[in-house]
Order: sequence, then C-alpha cells, then structure tokens
Amino acid sequence: MAKTYDYLFKLLLIGDSAVGKTCILFRFSEDAFNSTFISTIGIDFKIRTIELDGKKIKLQIWDTAGQERFRTITTAYYRGAMGIMLVYDITNEKSFDNIRTWIRNIEEHASKDVEKMMLGNKCDLTDRRQVSKDRGEQLAIEHGIKFMETSAKASINVEEAFFTLARDIKSKMDRKIDSSGQVSGKQGGGYQLKNENSQKKSFWKSCTLL
Amino acid sequence: MAEQESSKSLHTNQNREQSSKLENISDVGGKNKTKIYCQRCPSLVLSPRQATLVQKEFFLPNMYQKNECTPIEGVTLVDFWHVSDMLTFDNVGFSKTVDNIKYLMCADCEVGPIGWHSVHDKKSYYVAVDRVKHG
Repeated sequence: MAKTYDYLFKLLLIGDSAVGKTCILFRFSEDAFNSTFISTIGIDFKIRTIELDGKKIKLQIWDTAGQERFRTITTAYYRGAMGIMLVYDITNEKSFDNIRTWIRNIEEHASKDVEKMMLGNKCDLTDRRQVSKDRGEQLAIEHGIKFMETSAKASINVEEAFFTLARDIKSKMDRKIDSSGQVSGKQGGGYQLKNENSQKKSFWKSCTLL
Repeated sequence: MAEQESSKSLHTNQNREQSSKLENISDVGGKNKTKIYCQRCPSLVLSPRQATLVQKEFFLPNMYQKNECTPIEGVTLVDFWHVSDMLTFDNVGFSKTVDNIKYLMCADCEVGPIGWHSVHDKKSYYVAVDRVKHG
C-alpha cells in the first residue's frame, strides 16, 4: 500500500523518573482514562500523526520505560532517534540538575545531529516550584537548545512542544536534502529518496527498521 | 424450554444486529468506510479505507475493570479491523509486552485495550470493532 505519510520521526523522552515523562507521551486529552489494565502493564510507545506545512508527519514517541532508574540508557535505546525531549520537573531541583548528566549521556550515545529540546514539566504546580523559568532558559541557552515549560496535567504546551521539535527536525532534514541537491522542489520528504549518501547512517537505519 | 427458545432467538438477533453493523461500516472489499475514532474522546485512530475487517477470536481484557484484583475480566471478541503496518494508524498507543502481546490503546485518553498485536507477527495489528467509534 502507498505510504500515507511524508515523514517519520522517532522521538525519545529522557529525564529522571517521576518527572512526568509518561504523561507527556503526547497526551493532549485532559481527562485521561485511568485504565487499571493498561496502567498496570505500562505504555511502550505511541504513534501520532501531525500536519506541518501541508505534510503528514508520523511521530513515534518512546518513553524510557523506567530504564533511567538504573542509568542504563544505552546506545540501543538512542538508535535511530531523531529528536529527544529532555524533561525535568520544576518542583524537583534534582531532576533539573540531572539534565546536565542526561545531556552528557546523549552526547555519548545518540547520533550527533539529534534535535534536542528541554521541557520543565508540572508548571501548573506553582506553589511547589523549585526551579525558576529563568534557570531553565539559561541552561537551554547554554546548550543551544529550545526550552518550554509544560504541564501534561493541565495540557499546557505539550502539543506545542512536539510540534516545535518536529518542525526543527523537518527543517534540518529539508536543509540536508536541499544541500545534497538530490531533490529540487521537495516532493514527498525523505522517505522516497534512495541514494542519500550524505545522510547519517543511523538515521536511515531507523527508517528501514520501522 | 421456553426460556431456551427465547435465549436462542436473542442470540440470533444479536448476530443479525452485528452483521448489519459490519455491513454498515465496511465497503465491498471489507475496508472501513469511515474514520475510526476512540469511543471516549475525539482521537482519530484510523483514516477511511486503511483497515480490513477480519474475524478472529481473541480475548481482550475489559476496558472498564471492576477492581484491580485478579483475575482480569474480559471478553472474547471476533470482529477486528486488521492493519498490516503500524504506521497506518493515525494515532494509537502500544502497551508493553505481556505474553508476547502488545495491547493497543487510544493515544490521547489512553482508554484500552482497544486492540492487540502479537510480537511474533510484525504485519498484524488488530482493532476491535466493538471498542471504537465509526464515522
């Protein structure tokens, strides 16, 4: 069957446990259903379809599945990832401090050109805030990445964050395609291209895997 | 005896209802005529003509469990929408694997299971007709 999308992006959520990554797993709906069965086994990943500039983009979003507790996030998990959401909890100083550790982990294991974005989650809990928005912004500037405060619970900025990350990945891909001069006028996105020598191997590997 | 008769006719009626429902939601080729949504929220699961109706018995735990105690309550369902590539879904969530099965849920409100996938069959994803909204 013909492909029903133009782009496929694999995204990861990284951060300490209990920062609300699972909630951020692209939950737009405010009144999430608390299914005892599903919540007992846990969520592995989600597929979401969004539209950007008239192009259909499939997002495959993975949670770390609790591996972060053992600090065993390895190359295997990062393989093929094109975007990473670094998540901390604004009511938990430690989770913010650990962002630096996570960034080092990413530099060590992930593809060099992975797009990153940082999220300060639980921003609805103002009376318990330990990390100011300013400090979040500073850290993001330091690492040259985008930053947003989100609340998965109150549905603040979650959708925007994913759109932003997806848009950055798409722009980067489009630039690459343009510079390699293989597609003029940009039809259909990266998937129809066959001889993309200039592309990072890891990226295309993910495409064939999926 | 009379009771038996009435239960039998009830059963036939249910079958008739189900087959007329299936006719309404699928085209001649067995593809879904309409969009397929979550029953609980406006999340789009599948676009029209992306899935094929199949009959396959499978036990799915109830979406609404009475309590957390085991055993898990559920029902054996027969009518499913079959999709051969997970990227055909507009929006869907996958649970972690239990006994080689990944359960499908609504990507937005996380109600589920609305279907299933066996890790042994990479080309089969099933969405229960009775657990989604059509149109």
